[in-house]
Amino acid sequence: MQCTKLIAAAEELLDPAAPAWAGVPAEQLAMAATPLANQPSEYIKASRDEKLIGKCHSLSVQAAHNGKDMFFRLSWGDDSQNADEAVDTNMFPDGCGILLPIGAGDSPIEEMGSQAAPVNAWFWRANYKQDEARNSVAHGLGTTEFSKTSPIRARGAWQQGVWTVVFTRPLSVPELQAEAVQLEPGKAVKVGFAVWDGGSGERAGVKSFSKEWRELALEA
Amino acid sequence: MAENIGEQPKEQRAKDLAAELKSKKAQLKQCDRQVAMVFDLNKCLGCQTCTIACKTLWTRDEGMEYMWWATVNTQPGKGTPKDWEQMGGGFRGEEPRAGQLPTKRDFGEAWDFNYDEVFYGGKGNAAHLKPSGNPDWGPNWDEDQGGGKYPNSFYFYLPRICNHCTNPACLEACPRNAIYKRKEDGIVLISQDRCKGYRFCMEACPYKKIYFNHVAQKSQKCIFCYPRVEKGVAPACARQCPGRLRFVGFLDDEAGPIHKLVYKWKVALPLHPDRGTQPNVYYVPPISPPRIDEQGNLDLTKPRIPTEYLKFLFGEEVVPALEILNAEMAKTKTGGKSEILDTLIAYEWKSLLGPFTTDPSTIAPRST
Repeated sequence: MQCTKLIAAAEELLDPAAPAWAGVPAEQLAMAATPLANQPSEYIKASRDEKLIGKCHSLSVQAAHNGKDMFFRLSWGDDSQNADEAVDTNMFPDGCGILLPIGAGDSPIEEMGSQAAPVNAWFWRANYKQDEARNSVAHGLGTTEFSKTSPIRARGAWQQGVWTVVFTRPLSVPELQAEAVQLEPGKAVKVGFAVWDGGSGERAGVKSFSKEWRELALEA
Repeated sequence: MAENIGEQPKEQRAKDLAAELKSKKAQLKQCDRQVAMVFDLNKCLGCQTCTIACKTLWTRDEGMEYMWWATVNTQPGKGTPKDWEQMGGGFRGEEPRAGQLPTKRDFGEAWDFNYDEVFYGGKGNAAHLKPSGNPDWGPNWDEDQGGGKYPNSFYFYLPRICNHCTNPACLEACPRNAIYKRKEDGIVLISQDRCKGYRFCMEACPYKKIYFNHVAQKSQKCIFCYPRVEKGVAPACARQCPGRLRFVGFLDDEAGPIHKLVYKWKVALPLHPDRGTQPNVYYVPPISPPRIDEQGNLDLTKPRIPTEYLKFLFGEEVVPALEILNAEMAKTKTGGKSEILDTLIAYEWKSLLGPFTTDPSTIAPRST
């Protein structure tokens, strides 16, 4: 997977409809249910059917950087827009996330990393405030912790059955050495993706994911 | 073949993960002692003082409007949330059983009243106090409706709080291990730091005693007034109960009323024991008045409250429990003494409160 170098300001690219995105190649990733056997709850295992998890089957991913900031643009089909969690106790927001290993260790993607090889997750949910996104670190299943501050911004738009969400973050975040991946033009990182369909009650580990790490090469 | 080789480690890994999870959950469930309550249903007058004591103490913040950690409902009835007994959850054997998420409507949303119009708008004589939006359900909507047909109609009150179960379905369900039993007293708490508001606990709780706070985006529930308990003060619902029906104490205190009522005399039973969570709130079942036959005479052979209904609530053990209570009643009617009834009557108020008799007015207020 290529991360294209662009000359564009962060404010411009944060807009999911920005014309500059037309010049960035999109890769279509097959998405699948997270394995039920890996759910960190016997209740979830007993009450869910793996065949019914993962409403998002295909995710379009574009990646770019401008030498200073990193950008991901994710796009997937979802017939219903679930944005406002406050509507009721049985309603959940749509969302998506990006997963990147921290460090060179062998982080298992389907187990949210491990004690020795943590992962950095970028979260966006449709009920977050405008441009809000959260940074988190995980050391295995069920261990995700949000950082106190997030260097990530994200903006989502739902139109005619399609969600498009742009994430952006400075390539380098020296203040979050232990909690975030450091990115550098000319180098490659591993990356994975997740999508939650709130309308189907998807939340936590009940989601669709991109199954395996993809190599993302940042153009020099 | 190649596929099988690939599958094998995956299966083994799944087993290892399940074993890890089991050991983690066992740790979270472990406690040295267990606090418990016994509610004597023969004394509950449905006054809702417990409900309000809890509400004013714990659930006044924004996002908690619809929460009632302590409730009292008329039985038979739909309860709160509406039809909670049909929402699944708990365990079948060791296997967790799927449950439903109750909606705010099922709980009954907090109503807004036209106070301004009635009290300050100069229309006090014309306008009546009423909730806006014509609500058709609330947390105590079917109060005093009960069951049976005149002259054999009947009802009784069922106060409920979180059962602080020995095998909590909520604790088992949480994918973040945010729910735990306190080591020192077995109180079940949801860590507000770890909770991410996923609500699997709400789904899994067969008693539907967990609420979702939409402002904090966290699941919340009865905390057995642990900040009071830590200072020797009984939970507010128990201390303020005018009917003196709520016993509080440690389950293993053999000299205390709870141990005797539950284990020695076996007259206090958990609600819906078939849900497999081993609740630590126990109920002394309601003693029936006699039936009235077609001629209008007392029919002492059949209880007014159908035994089948009480078995549905408290399991088969309710039959011997009621036999014991009836025999004790008969004993006292002929001038005999009954230690069981004396205990239940609780002549001395503080005998209800176990080691938690400290007057809350003597405790320094919490710093906020």
